[in-house]
Amino acid sequence: MGSLGGISLDQLRENVAIAFDALRVSKLRSGLTILGVVIGVSTVMTMATIVQGVRDQILNTIQAAGPTTFYVIKVFSTTPVNPDNPPKWIRIRPDLSAEEADRIAQLPQIGYAGIWAQIQLRLEYQGVRTQLISGFGADDRYQEMQGGELAEGRWFTKSEMRSGAPVVVIQEVQARRIFGRIDPIGKTIQAGGRPVQVVGLYQPPANIFAPPGQEVGAVMPYQFVLHGYHIDKTNALFICIKPKPGVTVADAMDAVTIEMRSIRKLRPADHDNFDLMSQDQILDTFTSITDIFFLVMLVLASVALMVGGIGVMAIMMVSVTARTREIGVRKALGATRRDILLQFLIEAATLTGIGGVLGIVVGLTAGRGVTALMNIEAKTPVGLTLLAVAVSVAIGLIFGVIPARRAARMDPVEALRYE
Amino acid sequence: MSPQTDDVALSTTAERKVVVQSAGAQPDKDWVIVTRGLKREYDMGGEIVRALQGVDLAIRKNEYVAIMGPSGSGKSTLMNLIGCLDTPNGGEYWLSGQLVSTMKDDELARVRNKEIGFVFQTFNLLPRATALHNVELPLVYAGVGSAERKERAMEALTKVQLGDRAMHRPNELSGGQRQRVAIARALVNRPAILLADEPTGNLDSTTSEEIMRVFETLANTGQTVIMVTHEPDIAAHARRVVVLRDGKIASDERNQKVTSSLGL
Ligand SMILES: Nc1ncnc2c1ncn2[C@@H]1O[C@H](COP(=O)(O)OP(=O)(O)O)[C@@H](O)[C@H]1O
Ligand SMILES: [Mg+2]
Repeated sequence: MGSLGGISLDQLRENVAIAFDALRVSKLRSGLTILGVVIGVSTVMTMATIVQGVRDQILNTIQAAGPTTFYVIKVFSTTPVNPDNPPKWIRIRPDLSAEEADRIAQLPQIGYAGIWAQIQLRLEYQGVRTQLISGFGADDRYQEMQGGELAEGRWFTKSEMRSGAPVVVIQEVQARRIFGRIDPIGKTIQAGGRPVQVVGLYQPPANIFAPPGQEVGAVMPYQFVLHGYHIDKTNALFICIKPKPGVTVADAMDAVTIEMRSIRKLRPADHDNFDLMSQDQILDTFTSITDIFFLVMLVLASVALMVGGIGVMAIMMVSVTARTREIGVRKALGATRRDILLQFLIEAATLTGIGGVLGIVVGLTAGRGVTALMNIEAKTPVGLTLLAVAVSVAIGLIFGVIPARRAARMDPVEALRYE
Repeated sequence: MSPQTDDVALSTTAERKVVVQSAGAQPDKDWVIVTRGLKREYDMGGEIVRALQGVDLAIRKNEYVAIMGPSGSGKSTLMNLIGCLDTPNGGEYWLSGQLVSTMKDDELARVRNKEIGFVFQTFNLLPRATALHNVELPLVYAGVGSAERKERAMEALTKVQLGDRAMHRPNELSGGQRQRVAIARALVNRPAILLADEPTGNLDSTTSEEIMRVFETLANTGQTVIMVTHEPDIAAHARRVVVLRDGKIASDERNQKVTSSLGL
């Protein structure tokens, strides 16, 4: 017999065929059985697709902005701090200032440093409004730092930046929304309730995620934003820094830390009263959030799979009893315990394997749906897909053991007599 | 033809006596079945049911034996032991020169697969499998590859005149056809013995005769056949009749009717 060591391909094929046959006969029962597995697997696959998609976008954006860009921020936190009532240790930290940005910009290690503020606003032209979008108070180096390109018009002039002139470069898509076919350049719009003149149209790189926020709809001179709008100085004010070519991020960050401490006259014993945030840290933060997310999903999915597994066990038990006679016949014809055990194990594994494949299809579809809504590109998490198949099959094998053993140990005479 | 040549396929009482009495000795391979003092008891919650109480039976290659007896006399119990589906509580059982009464579960499974072909009263075909696949089953468990399996199963089906029904499922076949599929399945592994427990119990008399003709042909071509029946008409086809009563052999004689019908 060609099966002493492992299990022959022929045997496997034979048994998978038996499993499909049993499935065909009791579709509803089998369907209910694998529901738990389908739910468990599809949940994980959905989440994985979304997380993977978002992660890829962040990596892309970091690539676009240059992975060396880093930021000085009042406080680096994974969740926004309530700006109206921050804890004391944050309250005593000074706000960042344009002077600090200028001082940093003069460091020999630093290529660029500029203070930027992020605000939420709507754009309006002749009664047509955008939704609440993200806007930046920055400078003419914005595009260089964040990627993307100028589609039309120009960036700010030095004097516009210095005086805080009410000019704006708006995102092309937003411009189309409020202007339609009208040429926006030179027109005055309401940006967050203030009149500003459109000087340029900007096309951001595909999906911009850093600094954290939505796609940027409008960029205005920092000085204008500082005086014209309310800025959340705790969470949304930061100095954007790029080291000179050839300088490592770590060296540049050290230099910036020393300079900031000297500007703020901190003594050696004092803690920093500002935070640095590198692209790596942003990614790490995101990863730690998604890790927690994954952990929760994993627990939920495990519960679903456990329930599914117990369902498989119950159904296989019923199936074994219903097929007692078949087992007797097979034994009479020479099936060993091992043959019968394998038959039912493979049947259970086929059942849950099908459940797993269905779950993957459902999960990937749902994941793609969600990422499409989020306007990001989703890649198939190949490793996880394979793992999901393996886990599903393993569930069948594990929870199939008890029913399969029961079948294998049946007494042939009694099994043949079973009505 | 002299009576002696006819008796080629029949052991004599004297020969059997010799074989059966030498306890512990391995019989010659020609003796397909030798049981010595075979016992089978069932414990029914403290009460012991002695289904077989010391059966001495010797059957030589090519014999065609009917086992008869009233209901409850132990026919099925004996068949299950001979078929290696069950193990005795006492005594010896030698099958084709191998001592099987002490074998364990999986060894018995291999012996069943190689040496025994079962034909049941209720056919016991797998309802969802085609005739061909049903016949393939013993070969599956013998580890025969798919192509050879199909070929041999087809050959066996052709032998029982069902070559054209290979792809039919049992519910598309008549009772007689189903039993012929079962016979093909029993023979596909070329077993030492064909065991039939009431093979015509679920068939009408015409179909029963048809099945008996199949058995007759098999017996004539050298297949050892052992058949349990309580119908004298059916038993009449066998060359030798063993009668059980209360778990013991009451008589074991050549079938007068058959020997006379053979033209003696
Ligand atoms: N599994 C069993 N448990 C208990 N008693 C049994 C069992 N099988 C058979 N018997 C008993 O053994 C005796 C012989 O049964 P059996 O071999 O089926 O007889 P037959 O086939 O000649 O009708 C009967 O008394 C029957 O009740
Ligand atoms: Mg019986």
